[in-house]
Amino acid sequence: MSEGNGVDMAIKIQVPTPLREHTQGKTTVETSGTTVQAALNDLCEKFPTLSAKIFDKGEVKPFLNIYLNDEDIRYLDSLATAVKDGDELSIIPAVAGG
Amino acid sequence: MTPDPSLERYSRQMRFPGVGTEGQLRLRNSRVTLCGCGALGTVLANALVRAGVGFLRIIDRDFIETHNLQRQVLFDEADVTANLPKAEAATRKLRLINSEVTIEPVVADIDRTNIIDLVKDADLILDGTDNFEVRYLINDAAVKLGKPWVYGGCIGSHGQTMTILPGDTPCLRCVIPAGPAPGEGATCETAGVLGPTVNIVASYQATEAIKILTGHKEAINRDLLYLDVWENVFKKFSIAKLRERGNCVCCQQGKFEWLEGQHGSQTTSLCGRNAVQVSHRVAGKLDFDGIARQLGTLGQVSFNRFMLKFQVEEYEFTVFPDGRAIIKGTNDADKARTLYAKYIGH
Repeated sequence: MSEGNGVDMAIKIQVPTPLREHTQGKTTVETSGTTVQAALNDLCEKFPTLSAKIFDKGEVKPFLNIYLNDEDIRYLDSLATAVKDGDELSIIPAVAGG
Repeated sequence: MTPDPSLERYSRQMRFPGVGTEGQLRLRNSRVTLCGCGALGTVLANALVRAGVGFLRIIDRDFIETHNLQRQVLFDEADVTANLPKAEAATRKLRLINSEVTIEPVVADIDRTNIIDLVKDADLILDGTDNFEVRYLINDAAVKLGKPWVYGGCIGSHGQTMTILPGDTPCLRCVIPAGPAPGEGATCETAGVLGPTVNIVASYQATEAIKILTGHKEAINRDLLYLDVWENVFKKFSIAKLRERGNCVCCQQGKFEWLEGQHGSQTTSLCGRNAVQVSHRVAGKLDFDGIARQLGTLGQVSFNRFMLKFQVEEYEFTVFPDGRAIIKGTNDADKARTLYAKYIGH
């Protein structure tokens, strides 16, 4: 499974409802990578149509927040935040309805 | 202390140590502005009026339709038949529930010209809206005037809420710098919504309101609360430190871009055409493919690279890639804005 440096990191990504049409309905996807960016890239490689939904010119779209376990990555190291085996990333879109 | 007979109806609430007689008196002296009286708003208004706030201003631009009754708890079939505005119907019902509360219905579209007047005398602002345009206006006004407010949002079976105390917690723009672009986020019209989801989120918001109004700011929720009632998910995401990053345009730099009209929509009635143009500033181009998928089950949709046509109810939308839409079938700017928020979303 692992590529490159041989360190295999299993990072679970929680996919929110509106993006699941791009993940064949999967609510959780196992990815690998040593940073948040790498894990998200791996997710987008597995499901290529996701990339345009999550990123805009390389940045996460402003209405999507990425949480590493329960911490907002913006006050960690943003996309460069290191991740380790067993970590969970959640993509949480801002919800407009009401 | 001798119990105050005028507070008897609140005895069970006062027996709860967090409220007590003092908290109840504080509630009675408090003023709340509720922005939006749909699904979240009716639950919020019901909870606050029963709890005994002193004054509640209810602002809503919409009328009641049959498909609202599934989740908008203050309305009934007679209100639909009577063609009542939501703010008015809610007020009539709430006065029967608790005649001690002063309720002021306002049938209006909240925009940058009226929001300050609508919130300046309130101790707390509650979010019962269905779009980010009004939420960013609330956020600007609340931060500018130093008033607490509570955000809530719901779609399908999931929802979220956060509490904003200006100067203490992160503001909405710290956490969500910009809302979804038109067509980018789901709406209750396109993705549906379960009544219980809304009840739960609004009940959290109402509890936050009671904490703030009874003087218990130490007890508020300082996280982004996220839940999905269908998938049995309940999470708290830590957001407190986002304020310390120190670069928020609104609460750190003091720029109120929504109040000043640098963001948001504009409407123009197209005379003699029974149509209104709604303009939204978007950074890129709209994703017609995605919008067409969302709207496909609701009405007739077709598009090429220049425009997307969508027909629903008695309205015809012509949407352009820059976010502009011409909505045919109404001359009413508020109605057009409502339709845009419902079907295209922003």
